[in-house]
Amino acid sequence: MSDTTTAEPRLQRPPAERRYADELAKLAAEDDAPRPPGWALSLQAARTFIVGDPSRGIARKFVGDPSLIDRALVTLATNRGLMLVGEPGTAKSLLSELIAAAVSGDSTLTIQGGASTTEDQIAYSWNYSLLVSEGPTRRALVPAPLLQGMAEGRVVRFEEITRCPLEVQDSLLSPLSDRVLAIPELDADPMVFAREGFNIIATANTRDRGVNEMSAALKRRFNFETVFPIADFDTELDLVENEAATALARSGVPVPPSRDVLAVLVRVFRDLRAGDAQGGRPQAVMSTAEAVSVAHAVGIKAWYLRGGEAQAGDIVDCMAGAAAKDSAEDLARLRRYLEQKAPKRKGPHWASLYQARNLLPG
Amino acid sequence: MIERLHVQGVRHHSPACARLVAERVEALRPAAVLIEGPADFNDRLDELALEHELPVAIYSYASTDLAVRRSWTPMCDYSPEWAALTKGRRTGADVKFIDLPAWHDAFAGIENRYSDAEKRYTEATDRLCRAFAVDNTDALWDHLIEIADPEGLTERLDQYFDLVRGESEASGTDTEREAYMARWIRAALAATDGPVLVVCGGFHAPALRKLAATGTTEAPEVPSPPEGTDVGGFLVPYSFKRLDAFGGYQSGMPSPEYYQQLWERGPGSAAAALVQRITMRLRGKGLHVSTSDLIGARSLTDGLARLRGHERPGRTDLLDGLASALISDDLEQPLPWTRRGTLTPGTHPVVVEMTAALTGERVGRLHPATPAPPLVADAQAELERLGLDADAALRLDLVKPRDLERSRLLHCLRLLAIPGIKRAAGPTAGADVTSEEHWDLRAHGDRLPALIEAGALGATLGDAAQTVLEQRLDRTGELDAMAGILFDAALCGRAHLTDRIGAAVEAAVADSGDVSAVGKALSVALALWRHDHLFGTAGSDLYAAVIAACCDRVLWLVEGLHAPPGPADLGRLDALRALRDAVRHAPDLTPSPETVTRAADRIALDAQAPPDLRGAALGLAWTFGAPTDAVAAAEGAAGPNRLGDWLSGLFALAREEVLAEAQGVVAAVDELVGDLTEGEFLEALPALRQAFGMFPPRERGQIAERIVSLRGGGDAYDLTARHEVDPLTVAASMALESRVEAVLEREHLLFGGES
Repeated sequence: MSDTTTAEPRLQRPPAERRYADELAKLAAEDDAPRPPGWALSLQAARTFIVGDPSRGIARKFVGDPSLIDRALVTLATNRGLMLVGEPGTAKSLLSELIAAAVSGDSTLTIQGGASTTEDQIAYSWNYSLLVSEGPTRRALVPAPLLQGMAEGRVVRFEEITRCPLEVQDSLLSPLSDRVLAIPELDADPMVFAREGFNIIATANTRDRGVNEMSAALKRRFNFETVFPIADFDTELDLVENEAATALARSGVPVPPSRDVLAVLVRVFRDLRAGDAQGGRPQAVMSTAEAVSVAHAVGIKAWYLRGGEAQAGDIVDCMAGAAAKDSAEDLARLRRYLEQKAPKRKGPHWASLYQARNLLPG
Repeated sequence: MIERLHVQGVRHHSPACARLVAERVEALRPAAVLIEGPADFNDRLDELALEHELPVAIYSYASTDLAVRRSWTPMCDYSPEWAALTKGRRTGADVKFIDLPAWHDAFAGIENRYSDAEKRYTEATDRLCRAFAVDNTDALWDHLIEIADPEGLTERLDQYFDLVRGESEASGTDTEREAYMARWIRAALAATDGPVLVVCGGFHAPALRKLAATGTTEAPEVPSPPEGTDVGGFLVPYSFKRLDAFGGYQSGMPSPEYYQQLWERGPGSAAAALVQRITMRLRGKGLHVSTSDLIGARSLTDGLARLRGHERPGRTDLLDGLASALISDDLEQPLPWTRRGTLTPGTHPVVVEMTAALTGERVGRLHPATPAPPLVADAQAELERLGLDADAALRLDLVKPRDLERSRLLHCLRLLAIPGIKRAAGPTAGADVTSEEHWDLRAHGDRLPALIEAGALGATLGDAAQTVLEQRLDRTGELDAMAGILFDAALCGRAHLTDRIGAAVEAAVADSGDVSAVGKALSVALALWRHDHLFGTAGSDLYAAVIAACCDRVLWLVEGLHAPPGPADLGRLDALRALRDAVRHAPDLTPSPETVTRAADRIALDAQAPPDLRGAALGLAWTFGAPTDAVAAAEGAAGPNRLGDWLSGLFALAREEVLAEAQGVVAAVDELVGDLTEGEFLEALPALRQAFGMFPPRERGQIAERIVSLRGGGDAYDLTARHEVDPLTVAASMALESRVEAVLEREHLLFGGES
């Protein structure tokens, strides 16, 4: 075990602070701006880490508005929590991971919200054998992310907070406002006071139970930031192109779909995502991530089934499976789009998409 | 001589640039100040330099028989051009506008002379935005210029503009304008040996420096307009609202009130003043803003300013801080200052109020010595010429050319809201066909002031009315109102398509989710396009554009329409009927019959579509000759809560096809109705009644005859005749019948279906 670098197994997805360890180290070394108490980096360096700076060799990791990052970081430096809301697939979790890695150097203090999340998983629980033998002591205490983050002065991530029951959500009230967590079972020293550097980043999905159902008291303790789908067509296309090429290379496909084909795909996704004035948005998530996975499927299909390059027509059945999932309404929506909107667009790839419309099932 | 030349590139409406220009005039004491502005206005600079309350604008127009082109050159207190003009004149310099006139082809499609040229250099600015980690060019500009240290501003501006110009292709029109401006510069340099200061859009500055070095030194002529084009320009009062309302690529700097404060008080006090304005405004609208919210906003704003390296908070620091502190919701639309352009529907109300507070309410006023705009003279001359200048109650017959002309003029005045002009009766956008109009004309004390105000909209009544129409179309975004506006355009004799109207119509249609509203606009436009010789609108390109947009939209909307069975919606049936007529009579503008038929087939089979729509879709396919099995489809829609509505849809679209059949639908319906129980029949009755109401009486008679012959003869008249019977009597007889039936059944005297 002496040579850890070669002995260490390759992880599927290391946390951000390990993936970008070099960049973080470099930024910390060059950082001469004042750091908020308890922070691993200054606000400026944290921003650079996320929005990137090619001249310093820092990659761009988030393609949304830079002002969103500014507001998020400044919020975390105040006494309010940060709530990231948005449609599924808008990279909220990635953003919260990156921010936590930049601010605390650690993005692993994460609570995953769900219908069955309990306070045990948020604050603390007990090691029952120690609890029985020693009674409620510090040693028997098993800290959960919130307690740990408060005690160590780090950022805690709470994913999908609106999926938790309301009373569980409200357990965040006093850690956020009074910055203290009581452990009534302990006889001595039952209060854990938050150290500098502690704060909470929560994410919430507008498709789930909305943020409207959060208690007003808790809402007031968060600043809300809405993360939008990528506004710029070219930026989204670039992203889909890069990600699809990477994913296809991993699947052994040497020929990614051409940019023109992907442009058609991205345009279809953006049009369907925008819905129309009747509020007729697809139930399926038309996110950039979903576009990447359709592009991946298109590339695989073309290469392994036909041994050739992908065509716009391939998009149709890949979308029918991947994007329209199991909703008949979405399928009808896609059909309507292909029948009515596709023939209006110019270019050979749109024509091929229109020709392939009959491949839709049903 | 080139070292005597000082070219100051500016961004229009930039306080920092205005301050810089004023300083440079003061320091250089130039012999000549040359400004990017319409050269044909040079002989009226005295008028411009009067002590107006800004904002004011130079309105320029060029009208030919076919169309009119209008553009504005707006000036506010913090316009660099205004600073150059006033300062230059005060220091005794020879001040001139040196750009081509607004009617010149180089300005085709440009409404705001002082819009940003940025469309041409997005690549360079995008890269700068990335490098400085800001959202857009407005934020970039504030960061680099407006709230940055004034030290070294000149160099920074030069670098900025060199960079954007260095990388972009100048278009042909830019080259033309620059060549013209350079001629003025060379002439000025030759005419004097003092310094010459040029104030122009930064995009042109590098080119002008180069071009000024070589070439003729003769003063250029102001070009004269092409034959048959009437051109002119005059001063009009302007407002911050209009300054902020140019959307898209016509836009200049946003938030005029913020920059006004910045100009008057500097960044620190501007921010404070605006927080106050926004708070008052929000509280005035009943939106909650607590003191702790404001404290929170303040600390966020300060934090953002520090993070972004601003000594004092700028516009976006302020807005970002307030938005974060005041909004505890998810947003439907992005914050408008992170994008560019006008507000999108669905913007959070707090954000709407915030941006409105930064737009401001300021309205300019012209100095009393300014000559009245030509609209006043035009209106008086026209009213006199057409004999409309006295109090009268008029009856106009629109078939007579002179009366039509008078009607058009009066409608223009009505649109401009000139007091004392009222239409008592006349044609409306509905179906009524009348060619008579009644007007009430009365002298009114406010008529002159109203005309002067309207002078900003155009030089003639027609042009001004067109501006009003365009503005309304831009603003409503709602189709319901659009149908009315389209009709107004016909009444005013202004049914021409302009780029702007075309775009507004397309946007309004694309935003509408209401099939009946789209259908209504479609039928109005189709009627005017096809056969309105009364207003001279047949074949108008404006209505053609509306028809094309509406047809696509109707088809798109109906295919997605899902609803449980319910009463037939006549609005959407009308829309489908309008679509059918458009496909028949204007095939060049609409989707092909095949496309329509395919979509109609899908709707007719869609179990989730409401029955009236399914029936109508089937009818639509049928009228285009598609093979349809209406009988089978009718059997599919047999439920008592659906049959009548389904038939309403079918009859609305394919009445003639139904009648042309020998048996078909009528026989099938007769059978289906016969199968209904007493209770079901009563449930189905109102809808069935409505459905057969689609046929005029004569056709109802034909149907009756057919049913009578199906049933083996009798008098068809009995079926359609109206009998005057007391409903109570009918009810009593029905009760008696059912009692008799019950008795017969009890005694087993009922055989089969017959009694």
